[in-house]
Amino acid sequence: MPANTASELPSAEEAATTGPVTRGRPVLEVDGVNKVYGNGTVALKGADLTVWQGEFVSLLGPSGCGKSTLLRIMAGLGEVTTGTVQWWEQDYGVVGSEGRKLAFVFQNATLMPWARVRKNVRLPLDLEHAGNAPGVEEKIDSALDMVGLKGFDDSFPRELSGGMQMRASIARAMVTEPDLLLMDEPFGALDEMTRNKLNDDVLKLWKEKGWTIVFVTHSVYEAVYLSSRVVVMAARPGRIVDDIEIREPYPRSPDFRVSTEFAGYCRQVSQALERASSMGEETQGQPS
Amino acid sequence: MKTPLIQNERFVQVAAPLLVGALVLLMWQLAVMALEVPVYIVPSPVDIAQSLVNDFQSLFNALMMTLKVTFLAFAIAVVLGVAASLLFVQSKWIEISLFPYAVLMQVTPIVAIAPLIIIWVNDTTWALTICAVIVAIFPIISNTTLGLRSVDPNLLSMFRMYRAGRWQELVRLRIPSALPYFFGGLRISSGLALIGAVVAEFVAGTGGAKAGLAYTILQSGYKLEIPKMFAALILITLTGILLFALMVWLSDRALRNWHESALKVEH
Repeated sequence: MPANTASELPSAEEAATTGPVTRGRPVLEVDGVNKVYGNGTVALKGADLTVWQGEFVSLLGPSGCGKSTLLRIMAGLGEVTTGTVQWWEQDYGVVGSEGRKLAFVFQNATLMPWARVRKNVRLPLDLEHAGNAPGVEEKIDSALDMVGLKGFDDSFPRELSGGMQMRASIARAMVTEPDLLLMDEPFGALDEMTRNKLNDDVLKLWKEKGWTIVFVTHSVYEAVYLSSRVVVMAARPGRIVDDIEIREPYPRSPDFRVSTEFAGYCRQVSQALERASSMGEETQGQPS
Repeated sequence: MKTPLIQNERFVQVAAPLLVGALVLLMWQLAVMALEVPVYIVPSPVDIAQSLVNDFQSLFNALMMTLKVTFLAFAIAVVLGVAASLLFVQSKWIEISLFPYAVLMQVTPIVAIAPLIIIWVNDTTWALTICAVIVAIFPIISNTTLGLRSVDPNLLSMFRMYRAGRWQELVRLRIPSALPYFFGGLRISSGLALIGAVVAEFVAGTGGAKAGLAYTILQSGYKLEIPKMFAALILITLTGILLFALMVWLSDRALRNWHESALKVEH
């Protein structure tokens, strides 16, 4: 197993199996965040969540529960109505400076259709004016290699399958060597085989790179398989209702998917999700 | 290649319309001959072809004049239209303040303002060019502005997340996104530039060395040289078709690698 790149910080196993007290530095602190849209829709109500260094946290919930809204707020892409969000115990300004980097993987690959794969992958570096820095080409090569797109540099996105486009999207997120990776249902549109394969690949990269990942999904199985922690959300108004630790060691192999432990966690998370759904229905009739 | 020509899609695409055209010309020729229609009412295709050959020099000069105005106007419309679009997308306020005037220019019939322009502008070529620009510019402005705004919101979020500057956002995201719309505008505008040039010349009635195809048509009408009138008409139509084909080719060159409109579907 490769050594964790951030050696002073607890490894993912420790993060997953030890209590919050010894978790090291918080990467992201969401504190009492409310988000109300202009039309009065309460997208998020009193969201509290801390993500610690090296964690793999899944946000799980019924559609319309505000998981994507929360994730966008975590990426600094959305304003909060009230409450605070901090990155590395500081304001959003810290992102980008101090070498702290975020990356976001969208639901669709969100590639520039007019640009070849290599140009798409190097985009973040170009935007940061680091496109001509020494070692950039090697970085891009290694990112493409890691996601299994070696030799597809010159392809246009439309020439790739859905899974390969998603891989290119992940390579683009990787190339800046982010400290925090935010993924919004990245594999929702893919077939199960491709999805399982990409799940394993993401886990492998997460281990190797020492990333912290927040992953939005509506699949209980995906959440349990990947995460060190599953955060369950309820809809109308969107809020966090449960926080379940998955105390299973990494690396997780496909055998884990058929284990009794896996089934147990899935049942636990599903029940939490059902409770969350019924909570949503109870408050559905309330005026906003 | 053993495939019979009739199964070759490209061949059929060219041959089928040509065949229809040839049949129509043949029927036209036969009808004129059979009904003994006088040449000053409806000339036969052969009469028109003869005029094309006999009046070649004067027709060619007129064609060059019309082409000059058309291309000049088209080029100016593209440059000014794109500049206006780039200005519009800089701020909602600029667009709100100026867009109605672009619409105003579009809805005012050119024949109604051409006499004014011809009075104000001494040089006839420039007067005609200005008229043609007014006709041709609107599709470029409206299409390009629409394109510059039609950006994938997620890509835009990503650009903002990586703190892209306005210039980067424009060059790397907005302009490429706008290309398909821009080329759509070009197709419409190229034809309009020609129409504008011809209509303005009709109004101006420019004669002499600066006479274009429209003046040729007017003159031939007065002199009852109907075959020459048809010949001039054919030249205008051919110019329009060639311009359109050129725009289609350009757009195909620019978009063929990525945009749905230029992709060849493989079965």
